[in-house]
Amino acid sequence: MFTGNTKKNRSRVKLQDSLLGYATIFPATFVLIGFFGYPLFYEVYASFTNKTVGEAGNWVGLANYSYLIHDPTFRTASLNTIIYVTCVQSGKFLLGLSVALLLQQQIKGRNIWRALVLVPYALPGFVAYAVWRLIYNPDVGALNIFLMQIGVIDSPIAFLSNPEWAMPSVILATIWKGFPFWTIMFLAALQSVPKELHEAAATDGCNAVQRFRNVSLPGIRPVILIVFMISTITTINSFEAIWLTTGGGPGSATTILPIFAYKSLTAFQIGQSAAAALALVPVLFLLVFFVMKRLNKDK
Amino acid sequence: MQKKSKKAKFGLYLAVVVVLIFVLFPVYYMVSVSFRTQSSMFMNPSFLPVDLVLKNYRAAFESEQFRISLRNSLMIGSVTTTVGLFFSIFAAYSLTILRYRGRDTFGRVIIVAFLTPGALLFIPIAVIAARLKISDTLQGLMLIYLSFVVPLGTYLLIGFFRNLVGELEEAARIDGASRLQALWYILLPLISPGIASVGILTFTACWNEYLYALVLNPSPEFRTLPVAITFLQTADETPISLIMAYSTIAAVPILILFFIGQRFIVEGLQTGAVKG
Repeated sequence: MFTGNTKKNRSRVKLQDSLLGYATIFPATFVLIGFFGYPLFYEVYASFTNKTVGEAGNWVGLANYSYLIHDPTFRTASLNTIIYVTCVQSGKFLLGLSVALLLQQQIKGRNIWRALVLVPYALPGFVAYAVWRLIYNPDVGALNIFLMQIGVIDSPIAFLSNPEWAMPSVILATIWKGFPFWTIMFLAALQSVPKELHEAAATDGCNAVQRFRNVSLPGIRPVILIVFMISTITTINSFEAIWLTTGGGPGSATTILPIFAYKSLTAFQIGQSAAAALALVPVLFLLVFFVMKRLNKDK
Repeated sequence: MQKKSKKAKFGLYLAVVVVLIFVLFPVYYMVSVSFRTQSSMFMNPSFLPVDLVLKNYRAAFESEQFRISLRNSLMIGSVTTTVGLFFSIFAAYSLTILRYRGRDTFGRVIIVAFLTPGALLFIPIAVIAARLKISDTLQGLMLIYLSFVVPLGTYLLIGFFRNLVGELEEAARIDGASRLQALWYILLPLISPGIASVGILTFTACWNEYLYALVLNPSPEFRTLPVAITFLQTADETPISLIMAYSTIAAVPILILFFIGQRFIVEGLQTGAVKG
């Protein structure tokens, strides 16, 4: 009698838990089906049609994809994406790690400096890139004024409209905006490395470089991995960093895939722009896969 | 720790100064230019705000378009943040505290959505929004932003919920509290740093969002601040110092929010990535 009662009770609690579970996950799921699942499905479908704005379009199979592969602008955009992402990520990593190591030292006012380094990360992207556009301006921009004053150049450089300078300039601005995120993450990870390990290594006669390689680096490796992957996903998709500085130009010198997709959309080619946006999916899929594997392992 | 030589110490501080100049100069420059006039910028190339005029700020606040856009950005940010917090708290609670069939699948979908960048889906969402007749409305952007911020919020809050001792909730329930009472009275106060962190990051994400606002809400009445700034520039004219005044006004609330909540934000980001 007694045991029967608790059993009944337990299954009732279980049922209640399940119901509450579904009820509390429902709002999030609802939003995600409407604005994540369905659009994704629709985008894949549209990429196989010749849909344009206002017209339903017909099934064209892989025509959009084969058109893209033969489109020189698309090829340039793919190549640019690879260059841009590689440079930006290496820059953020190097700068983020160096600044983290610097701000880990015992210096006066360390907490204030740590807070101030966050400014680029806190600054809205649309503001940051408007400012960098001005900095690079050939007539009144700070960089040209500075370089001319110290005598490095004689005449101003149009950083954003010169085909050779445009890409490096955009890369520098993107690194500036993004590296503080890496610094915060590295600082946290470095703090979680036990001090005793460092001291032990020091008494064993390891110098600073050896201690970094053998003590700090292994300790922060998991964080490096996950920050690298999450940040790569967002960098591949930096639309505003480029749209607000060069607009993808000059020509298509700084056009990366999201810019290419946006331009196809403004040319009303929905099928083609869907295919262009989806061209990133294999890379994203790999990155997402590794992040999830990593996260599950940590659990 | 060994004592550093004077030279090493000097090098260290020099490096800090260089980093800070690199980090802060663009922000200083923005504010400086916002106090100058367009014509004097061309005549006197200086980094100092030599003219010290307020006319750009006056022009901003006198512009109807600016006031509308500021209001739109504030509305979208605050409504999305409030609703998004409710949705994320419930979802994170559901995924960590409760047990039910399919829970792990829901959890995986949330993470995939969190990792999926907005630039991947703006094309179908533009088509769907047009079909639902929610493009060029504030509600449309709020709904779409919800779909970005709920995965972010849920992901970060899961980290905070997981750090709570599971027994705490059970203890409360033995005392006779229902599940929801335990959530409201026991769990929420404990994860309040997480809620602050998600709240600030959500509001910031909505305030900063550019691509969707540009694609979906180009009409003057529904423009948000970033889009309004883009439209300041015309084919024949780039009002540089006015753009910098708009930018400063747009940046100040976010910078203040960030520095008030810095502790929470950093904790939130680190709980998300470091502890996973």
